[in-house]
Amino acid sequence: MKFLKWLLLPYMAAVIVGAFLWPAPAQGFIGESSRIVFFHVPCAWTGALAFLVAAGYSVAYLARRRPEHDDVAAAAVRLGLLFAVLALVTGSLFAKIMWGSYWNWDPRESSFLLLIFLYAAYLFLRAAVEDPERRARMSAAYALFAAVLMPFLFFVAPRVTASLHPQTVINPQGKILMDAPTKAVFFGALIGFTALFFWMLSLESRAARFDRAAVSRLSER
Amino acid sequence: MSKRKGEIDAASNPSPTAYRLPPSRAGALARAWAICAKDAAQELRRRVAAASIFFFAATAVTLVSFAVGPFGLPTEARDRVSSALLWIILFFCAATGLPRAFVREEETGTALALRKVAPSSLTLAGKTLFNYVLFLAITAVTVPAFAVLLEWRLESPGALATVLVLGGYGLSVVSTFLAALVARASQKNVLFVVISFPLLLPLLLSAISATIEAAGGALPATALRVIVAYDGAATCAAYLLASAAWED
Amino acid sequence: MFRDSVLATILEARELTKAFAGPPLFSGLSFRAESGLLAVEGRNGSGKTTLLKILAALMRPSSGSVSVRRGDEELSGDTRRLAVGWAGPDLAFYEDFTAVENLRFLSRAGGRPGADGQLARRLEDVGLAEALDRRVGAFSTGMKQRLKIVFSLLFDPPVLLLDEPMIGLDPDGRAIVERVVAEKRREGLVVLASNDPRDFLEPDQEIVLGRASRR
Repeated sequence: MKFLKWLLLPYMAAVIVGAFLWPAPAQGFIGESSRIVFFHVPCAWTGALAFLVAAGYSVAYLARRRPEHDDVAAAAVRLGLLFAVLALVTGSLFAKIMWGSYWNWDPRESSFLLLIFLYAAYLFLRAAVEDPERRARMSAAYALFAAVLMPFLFFVAPRVTASLHPQTVINPQGKILMDAPTKAVFFGALIGFTALFFWMLSLESRAARFDRAAVSRLSER
Repeated sequence: MSKRKGEIDAASNPSPTAYRLPPSRAGALARAWAICAKDAAQELRRRVAAASIFFFAATAVTLVSFAVGPFGLPTEARDRVSSALLWIILFFCAATGLPRAFVREEETGTALALRKVAPSSLTLAGKTLFNYVLFLAITAVTVPAFAVLLEWRLESPGALATVLVLGGYGLSVVSTFLAALVARASQKNVLFVVISFPLLLPLLLSAISATIEAAGGALPATALRVIVAYDGAATCAAYLLASAAWED
Repeated sequence: MFRDSVLATILEARELTKAFAGPPLFSGLSFRAESGLLAVEGRNGSGKTTLLKILAALMRPSSGSVSVRRGDEELSGDTRRLAVGWAGPDLAFYEDFTAVENLRFLSRAGGRPGADGQLARRLEDVGLAEALDRRVGAFSTGMKQRLKIVFSLLFDPPVLLLDEPMIGLDPDGRAIVERVVAEKRREGLVVLASNDPRDFLEPDQEIVLGRASRR
């Protein structure tokens, strides 16, 4: 398994190069801006995936009370914040090019902004609690409470305004409206970003675990 | 210690006498109600939460009406702006007054006694009920004052009341649950606003659009359905996660 | 029902460990206590209060478990909550309410509301007869301590956990606590934590917390 992470570097390099050189720019987009889909969508996807990971590990923590699970949940949220911010920024750049302004109150945009607030709130909560066990338990409770209310987050906001968002990759007919090179790079990027996320997650969780061990060893003196 | 009927006398039996739990004479509802009533009794004696919410609401409503009232809102924007302002004020009212239910228990040290005798879910239920009643009481005073000062014509007070009752419940459930969390953290006031905002926004948006419709005279069926679903989801989640939120 | 009377309530701890952001206060602590008096000794900060809170299910251990059993049946939920009485230095009552009001509320919240007459009698038993209708906020330390003892006995638990029960008590108060402990240890289990060895009268078992640690 270890060699996979070494593979990630050339793989991502290939994806990035491919994104700019291989598929042709899509119809209906200004200039080369359609290439954003190779970066923006995977970031958004990972940003949302992070929440599922955090929720899953929160359940695990409450069930088993193992500190490692809390480490992973918190790391997932931190990374989720990073990817969600990237998604929002790339989306804004795209919006500026296509429609002339950075922010358009598009429901999907707003939902991601709210997701960012949620991640930040989770981290703020953690910062406000000193005792590690209490912090872990409270974060897990908050994450799961938020998980239950999440669907409302993502499905209520769209009721407010019509969507400017380009048609989703999977449209109502169930077909994927992309040509072969675009499809290849797109799914390649999706896999690459997901792998990147999990790799960073394992690094962050391990760092947190060492932190914890170091703190208890130091105080034992 | 008095002997209970039917037990073998300790003198004739060298083994320790058995433990029979005193029969339960109060179901879960009665226990939650007892907690709610206790909070109400405390509130009636001190009136701290009610007073702080009231003064906050009065200040906010007055400020808004001075800023907006004399110039009047353009008719086409009136319902939308007034509804939004109203729910913003109600959100901050909740943030001011509702967390006290749990924070006070922790600050005065009574939380341990409560945790010793009652499960967290019942405590949460009782305090949610209390907070909900408190919120409705504030709403009953604030909304008419708001409407009058902003010269906001409400075509259907009944529809508006429905929105307030249903939306207010969701607000209370989420606020009380999060209050249990912040009671044991630092920077409680700021923390509460930060962690409640992302969770309450969908509710507030639905409530605002429902209020707009209600102000226009219609019963906002779709929005109310979303609110009721939210209320249900929040109630279940709060009940299940109560002990994770409040216990150690 | 005859069988019932030979069932004792057993308190058992297995590999208890507790740490607060640092080295553990205690680790791998195991014991089994059935009846009589279990003394928990140790200097200030050695973890006595924490241990008793864990036994009272007011706190979770970092690892390990505690069980309260009656025969083969392990008590859980409400039964366990009320089968273990607890009083400690961190316990506080509602200062705006009288002693009777406090007890009335707590027994209602526990699901076993007692008649006011019963509650008054319990308060009289610890010498708080004159203070029945006084706000707890006006109580002296000694009076509050006596009220804590009443709280721990509120549901007639077979297991009684007392953390520093003699704090702030005058000789009369101490005598009351000694009487309670003597009665309870005959019928069930009393776990008493204190840093004053004079508080323990011939314990049946001992646990010493601190660096030199476990039994």
